[in-house]
Amino acid sequence: MMSQEEVRLEYLWVIVVVSMLSAFIVSLVYVGVAKGFWTPEEVVTCDVKKLDEFIEPGIRELEPGVYEVNIVARRWFFEPGSTQPIVLENPRKIIFRITSADYIHGFEIVGTPVNVMIFPGYIAEVEWIPPKNLQGEFLVLCNEYCGIGHSNMRGILIIKR
Amino acid sequence: MSTMQKTIEFRVEDKFSKITLAVGLIALLLGGFFGLIQLIERTPYMPSIVPPKTYYTILTGHGVLLALVWTTFFIMSLAVYIVSRELRVNINKTLLLLACILAIAGTFSAALAILLGKAAVLYTFYPPLTAHPLFYLGLVVLIIGSWIFAVAIFHAYLAWRKNKPSTSIPLATMGVLTTLIIWLEATPPLAFMVLKNLVPMSLHYTPVDVLESRTYFWYFGHPLVYFWIVPAVTLWYYALPKILGVPLFSEKMAKIALILFIVASTPVGLHHQFVDPGISNIYKLVQTIFTFIVATPSLLTAFNIVATLERAGRLRGGNGVLGWLKKLPWGDPVFAGMTLAFILFGFGGISGVVNASFILNYVVHNTLWVVGHFHITVGTATTLTFIAASYLLIPVLFKREVASMRLARAQVYLWFVAIAIMSTAMHIVGLYGVPRRTYDVTYGGQIPSSWIPLLLAVAVGGIVLVASGALYQAIVWRTIFGGKRLEDHIDVVNEATLASPTILDNLRIWIIVAVILIAVAYIPTFLEIYSRGLSLVPPLTPEGQILG
Repeated sequence: MMSQEEVRLEYLWVIVVVSMLSAFIVSLVYVGVAKGFWTPEEVVTCDVKKLDEFIEPGIRELEPGVYEVNIVARRWFFEPGSTQPIVLENPRKIIFRITSADYIHGFEIVGTPVNVMIFPGYIAEVEWIPPKNLQGEFLVLCNEYCGIGHSNMRGILIIKR
Repeated sequence: MSTMQKTIEFRVEDKFSKITLAVGLIALLLGGFFGLIQLIERTPYMPSIVPPKTYYTILTGHGVLLALVWTTFFIMSLAVYIVSRELRVNINKTLLLLACILAIAGTFSAALAILLGKAAVLYTFYPPLTAHPLFYLGLVVLIIGSWIFAVAIFHAYLAWRKNKPSTSIPLATMGVLTTLIIWLEATPPLAFMVLKNLVPMSLHYTPVDVLESRTYFWYFGHPLVYFWIVPAVTLWYYALPKILGVPLFSEKMAKIALILFIVASTPVGLHHQFVDPGISNIYKLVQTIFTFIVATPSLLTAFNIVATLERAGRLRGGNGVLGWLKKLPWGDPVFAGMTLAFILFGFGGISGVVNASFILNYVVHNTLWVVGHFHITVGTATTLTFIAASYLLIPVLFKREVASMRLARAQVYLWFVAIAIMSTAMHIVGLYGVPRRTYDVTYGGQIPSSWIPLLLAVAVGGIVLVASGALYQAIVWRTIFGGKRLEDHIDVVNEATLASPTILDNLRIWIIVAVILIAVAYIPTFLEIYSRGLSLVPPLTPEGQILG
């Protein structure tokens, strides 16, 4: 049988656990609401056989420092990214519009929090506000298995300041 | 009581346990061997030994054989042993036979597709990647076999309940029932999706929607984690106090933990899809909250087990804040294996909380961090606990003495050290951005040099792990075929003395709560996917050929 002291400790632990987990949830919601950090959710569906009608690969500067980067991932390269590096000058905000022509791929810019799954049939839209002094060359990787050429699927992002 | 005097024979049950255990051990052997090949292929400076197609075939085999086959078969073996002995009831022979045949036939069919190189789709088998129909049909047959198995166990439980309406459920049996309830919550939608989408895709090249299929997969994918963990937790609750000769610190808290696993282990799958576009942040947040709720039973278990160990250590004369630790039987491979697995489970819980926090998940998603996480959870908390338990179970089932308890002791410590090195390195290098599931981890030599030392540490840990696994296989097969015969019939699980039932024993209520939570978490998600309209794409082979 448990002593009174042991029962007390048990209840104390339950309180510790519940408070700790509540704090985690509250901080996630806070970061989401106050700082706008959520997860990728925006998509439009597209016809994978007529991709040209839905997306034109390339970079568009919407206003000074705000770039829209349209990327088509296919086995086994990113266009642009692998075909030619994605070069951005003084970006304040980058909007990636990104889709796949075949498998599920991944889009990870190593060393940054940009990490999104790319689905055929869906064009995803994600925003990234890079730190003000961030510059250099970044490795872009496909991080979802996409058939035997998967490990060849990489690209380059260059940020110039 | 009459049941104590009445001798019951468990011939069929034990035969079932022996066969399923043997299948599990073979899966562990083959899956572990595949792990070794991956290790060599992925390590910088090592020569390439297999082409990409073979690598991904082997990776598929590693995942399917270890995560699905080894765990499922060991759990079936253990479940039959626990339920038959603790409840002193026979389990329906026909159902057991049927379950056994279907599970083995399904496994054989899927394994054949993999070994023939026709299913390099990895154990998550996301479409539009396509495998041979034998792979998907095998999975469905294995799942149906597991359902029949669950029916057999519940049938035995209900027969026992009829005889003993006014007693609580014994703890180990409650653990088994919890495991099966989680499995029954998780698998029907998966089977539905495989039959509706993937079998037609594979047979007739029917187009599929990737987001829909992924969401069904992860609906199953996370409760699967608790299907692995709950039996390990049950073994800690049941076996550790027995070995130490003390009662569990709090049986009530143990039952509360099991019930929380029943109600909250399924409505959480979206935390595997945080970076999937096309699912609303609100639904992801709801499932994040459920994920933190399902962390609660693990934290309750941590307290309960540590308190039990401390109680035992102090009774053996241990003093001071940590002095009781020294009095525990660290030389016993069963105790040491389970306790070391339990310690690493704590770290697995910590990295699990990171994964469940969607902001942090950006940094770790699909990196080697995640691989580190599941090698200390399913690869150790579950597997090392099962290994330790097998040093008890094999002598009982096969009536043979363990070939060498000294080697068994060395084996469990080696496993612990190996995983500590390998998983720590994987976690750190994952934070640097090293992806998982890739044939060439150097990306044609373009990787940052900071990855290299840690990738070599992964290899060192991995080699020690392979050594531990090989030693384990040597010990168990030597025991089964050449161990000293045991004359006496011993049971390591005995009929329990029982208190009156409480609300904690009313499984029906908790199953209803679970179904409500699943509905809250998943109906809006699927409404979102279906109301947007599916976007169908043609299937492809891993080589890149578009089908249909």
